Amino acid sequence: MTELDIPIGAACRIDAVAPGMTIAEVPVGLDPEGVAVDLGRRRAYVACSRADNVALVDLGTNETVARIPVGAEPIDLVYDPATDRIFTANAHSDSVSAVSAETLEVVATLDVGLYPSGLTADHDARRIYSGNSLGSSMSVIDLDTLETIATVEAEVGAGAIAFDRTRELVICVNFIAASATFIDTKTWTPVGRVEVGVGACAVGIVPELGHAFIVNSLAGTVSRVSLDDVAVLEELTVGRAPVGLTVGPRHDRVYVSNRGSGTLSILGAADGMHWGMIPVGGGPGGIAVDGNRVYVANAGSGTLSIVDDLLAGAPPRPATEPPHPLIGHRLPEFSLVDFRTGERRSSREWAERRYIINFFASW
Amino acid sequence: MRRREEARSGLDVILIDIWEGTDPKPDVDRFCELWGVDSTILLDETAEYAAALGIRGVPTNVLVDADGTIVDVGLVRLDELEAAIDRLVGR
Repeated sequence: MTELDIPIGAACRIDAVAPGMTIAEVPVGLDPEGVAVDLGRRRAYVACSRADNVALVDLGTNETVARIPVGAEPIDLVYDPATDRIFTANAHSDSVSAVSAETLEVVATLDVGLYPSGLTADHDARRIYSGNSLGSSMSVIDLDTLETIATVEAEVGAGAIAFDRTRELVICVNFIAASATFIDTKTWTPVGRVEVGVGACAVGIVPELGHAFIVNSLAGTVSRVSLDDVAVLEELTVGRAPVGLTVGPRHDRVYVSNRGSGTLSILGAADGMHWGMIPVGGGPGGIAVDGNRVYVANAGSGTLSIVDDLLAGAPPRPATEPPHPLIGHRLPEFSLVDFRTGERRSSREWAERRYIINFFASW
Repeated sequence: MRRREEARSGLDVILIDIWEGTDPKPDVDRFCELWGVDSTILLDETAEYAAALGIRGVPTNVLVDADGTIVDVGLVRLDELEAAIDRLVGR
């Protein structure tokens, strides 16, 4: 073999069109949903909703090094560098926990509305917003004093929240109502409403464009919403069952996690084009970004994916999901326990019949 | 959606539960009650079968023809699922 006669294999192949590169997939715990990054300490905090704790991931070693008990079912979380505190929205406790990132102990527990499932911090305005799904409301909390400043009426399924300080506006997305409530931050009153897709559950804002991007998990789309006209401008397509969304730091792209595909989509903010799709762990949800490094909490596989976005800008063509490799092949046989009877059942029972298998999780 | 598709197409719908942890019963019970699920539910507790099929997310639908061939995978949106079922039933 000469120097130039190098076999092309997985270890040395460079895929020029690959939109991303996997850095690590870190086991964190049961049903991780929310993630935040502490750049000073090189840590990620991951809300493990069915473990009732926050996993602390050392980003130097990419290992989970501690678990911090908080309230029941922490779904979302944020980190505030100024107070050095982690805040979690504890859905089943109807509370928000404030945790010292230094001591890793809960320093305060704040009552909010029923079933808080979304949490967003405006660090400059020193506010934290909690979307209370079953309370159909949004709590406004002072980040420093931890006092509740206002409770604003939203709609059923209130959860994900984003803000636009230039327009003095907060958008609260309502999962069950399939709507978004526009809230004036001077008066803390609703000033507008827009209907979006079914299962709306994440939102991000690009103030320069005057647009909000709202993920509709059950409709399988992302709505582009005009903040000035309070209207849906277009529906964008990404992967299957999108649930998480974060705007990139340069505001040129939006990251969307696709729970049904196990992928992270990169969506152009201006052109709305599906730029690329990066494989992550099973059942991905919450997203955090630091530069071109993206952190994705995977509820299904119980992991945190750390990936690098390699796209400098829009690719020549939109990304599409390739057909599943098993299409056209025989279904592998299964032998699984029946949930109701406890008996083992095999695929042979359904031989010579047409049927649908629906893979699901209860969460 | 599951009940509707079962009734509309005459196809059996088999639910396979994955990624629940070590004690799926309480959560799956709640799920069935909430959504009125009465179809067959099988437990893939280790998610090994899902992994063998390359399933990376939920929900994921897999359509199987009478000769055991996989004809479609994915299909989360109702319009996509209905179109795929029509293709399968019309074969």
